[in-house]
Amino acid sequence: MKKKINISVFSVIVYWLVFLLLAGLFFTNDFGLVDIHKTSIITAVGIDTDQGEVQVTAEIVAPQPSQSGENIKYTQVQGSGLTIADALTEINAKTGFYPKLQYCQLILIGESCLDSELFRILGCFYRKNYSELTALVAVCKGNAADMLAQKSDVSEMTSEAIRKILSDEIKKSANGTPANLKDIAIGEYSQNNACYLPYVEAYLPGTSENGGNGENVGGENPPQGGQSGNTGGGQSGSGSGEGGSSGGGSEGQSGGGQSGQSGSSGGEQPVEFTARKTAYFSNGKFKGVLNEKQSFALAVLKNEIRLAVLPCDADGKHYTIGIKTVTGGIDLKIKDGIPKVTLKFSGGAQIQGVRVVVDPNKIMSDDFVPESVLKSAEEEMEKRLSDLFETCKKENCDLLGLREMLYKHNTKYFEAFKNDIYQRAELELKVEIRSVN
Amino acid sequence: MKISVRQICFILLAYTAVTKILMYPTILSGDCNRDLLLPALIDFTVGGIVIWSLSYLCSKTDKTFFALLEGIIGNVGARIVYGFIAAFFLLTALLPIFEQKMYIHNIFYDTVPSLGVFLPFFAFAVYAASKKFINIGRCADICLPLFLVCMILMFALGFGEAKMDNLLPMFKAPAGVLFKCTAGTLYNFAEPCWLLMMMGHFKYKKGDAAKITLSYAGGAAFVLLFLTLFMGIYGPIAPSRTFAIARTSLFFPAIETIGRIDLVLLFVLEVVMLFALVLNIQLGVYAIYKCTGYQNYKIISLAVNIALLTITVFADSQYSGIYNFYYDWLWIAFAVFTVALPLSAWAFKRRNSR
Repeated sequence: MKKKINISVFSVIVYWLVFLLLAGLFFTNDFGLVDIHKTSIITAVGIDTDQGEVQVTAEIVAPQPSQSGENIKYTQVQGSGLTIADALTEINAKTGFYPKLQYCQLILIGESCLDSELFRILGCFYRKNYSELTALVAVCKGNAADMLAQKSDVSEMTSEAIRKILSDEIKKSANGTPANLKDIAIGEYSQNNACYLPYVEAYLPGTSENGGNGENVGGENPPQGGQSGNTGGGQSGSGSGEGGSSGGGSEGQSGGGQSGQSGSSGGEQPVEFTARKTAYFSNGKFKGVLNEKQSFALAVLKNEIRLAVLPCDADGKHYTIGIKTVTGGIDLKIKDGIPKVTLKFSGGAQIQGVRVVVDPNKIMSDDFVPESVLKSAEEEMEKRLSDLFETCKKENCDLLGLREMLYKHNTKYFEAFKNDIYQRAELELKVEIRSVN
Repeated sequence: MKISVRQICFILLAYTAVTKILMYPTILSGDCNRDLLLPALIDFTVGGIVIWSLSYLCSKTDKTFFALLEGIIGNVGARIVYGFIAAFFLLTALLPIFEQKMYIHNIFYDTVPSLGVFLPFFAFAVYAASKKFINIGRCADICLPLFLVCMILMFALGFGEAKMDNLLPMFKAPAGVLFKCTAGTLYNFAEPCWLLMMMGHFKYKKGDAAKITLSYAGGAAFVLLFLTLFMGIYGPIAPSRTFAIARTSLFFPAIETIGRIDLVLLFVLEVVMLFALVLNIQLGVYAIYKCTGYQNYKIISLAVNIALLTITVFADSQYSGIYNFYYDWLWIAFAVFTVALPLSAWAFKRRNSR
């Protein structure tokens, strides 16, 4: 009996202690929960540099208490400092919310950052528990702050409009080379010491230039400037491989030319975004921008493609070929002490467009592509692949990942070939485009 | 008998794995990079041999380890050894408590929570550690299905993103680095000492040694597969990714669309992790009881947990220092208590037989 009483007394004491503990937690910390109306969630950040300082523009989503209608407010808040963490601390002070960046889905790097070491700028995102590595990263033309301030008809949230052009579907169609924080870090910190990022550009709607061969991306750039007060550094580096862009002007024009513009933040007139070019880096340093064709070649080699669209000319007509069941890849073998690189591409083609009057009775035969068209498509693909390889060779930038392949599968040759594998390598192209039916 | 062989098997399968999926993969990838499987394989092989040897010993004697010790070095000597074992278990529990605290703070909270949100763990630990062996077994019965379902789903979520050739080339880590990493991470391998405490508390039947050893091998297989998955996903940046289990599912395509559904699995796995963590405190309390002869588990449990809570509060930000101490020095204690001591049970048994 005595024992029973002791147990019950003990239980009561324990229950009271637990109750007091939980009550204490509830009244002091609300169990660590956050009132959604008191939050300012960072959904995207734009990074620019100015005279050695980093300027971070955070796109903030601030939920508003509302019974109906608009209940989310999107705005931009800026902070600056020697590191991104400094800038985020300033943003924290302005928004009153700890910027852990768990919800940050997009990191835009302005052209002014391209003079700096990429992973010195982005280092903050890789440090302990700051953000997840799923956030998409892209380089943008001009200032990132201005880019985030643009308005788009596609989505109220500018970052979301940009993320649409970096989507998985874009990746599967080889129309872009989206990359997240993990992808670029793996590229840089592997034996490749190279990485690539999509290059985002904004254009005014309805200004797309005439001509182009399927890779036309736009026309006039929207007015920029003012917001960050940056002196855009313009692109440095060799900029090789930039040829071939048919729209939007050349990369080298941006940056410096925009500095000093003020007033309109570029946010009044809606714009369209594209990311068909690719900025590439070696040892963390910016090397240049791949044009649309080279980016397409890189995409088919690196990504899993569901449907790629390839324009070509045959029999005096312009054809747009849709290629399904695509398999692409890179193979590296060492034969007689010489590295042999094989770039492979194969897929089933069907006609998607041709510059002739359509005959409904012949649409069924689109799956039977004439041999001359297939040959022309193969030649176009070979040209794109070899152009990409030559760019890598010229810049000694291992976008194809040959060094990592060498290290993994032919380790004994690694030390001998690691510095000049592109110069030593013999290139073989295996392109096979067949009729889908 | 207080615990069944089935429950011991469950403990060795589930708890072995869940105690090595937070910081262990990060540390291994940092030290040995692409060779991270090797130190794990060595530690598991040594642990497996010791566990087989101990479980086989159970077929020869039904005495507890305390009784074997008592027969050789007397009651006082046995109590002193159990005092050391108690200290060992509390040390085994300490670092994982810090890891769990950081894990909960970082993964389950969007902001910076206070230390207080983790402290209810000690209320749970006081309750759980005041129970005896029968309770440990029941917890294992509950935890195993939870563990199996969640781990298999976590593997499924991460598998698509993994590139298995990230482990190549293998056998490149220098022998010195390999040894240091194998020894340094030994503090994650307390399983043989768990079995040592359970010795004499279960009824051995023919074939049980194989069952127990295979269960441990199953737990090891889960860990090795997880290490492969983790390295396959993160490759050269794996050393920067702490709390590995929460990082492998992030790239599953549906998560971007429907949100962090993997958190449900992580919450459930957290339950298993807490039971595994509290096992060391439970066995520490048991060892103190054997050492002191004081039979009130509740008071011992309360005292032990107050001590652990005090250290947790006062050394709140000292994880790195504590970790370095464990990695650099405590492997010696782990080699003694998880390898030498369990193997010496054979010698004690032989001398008892004479």
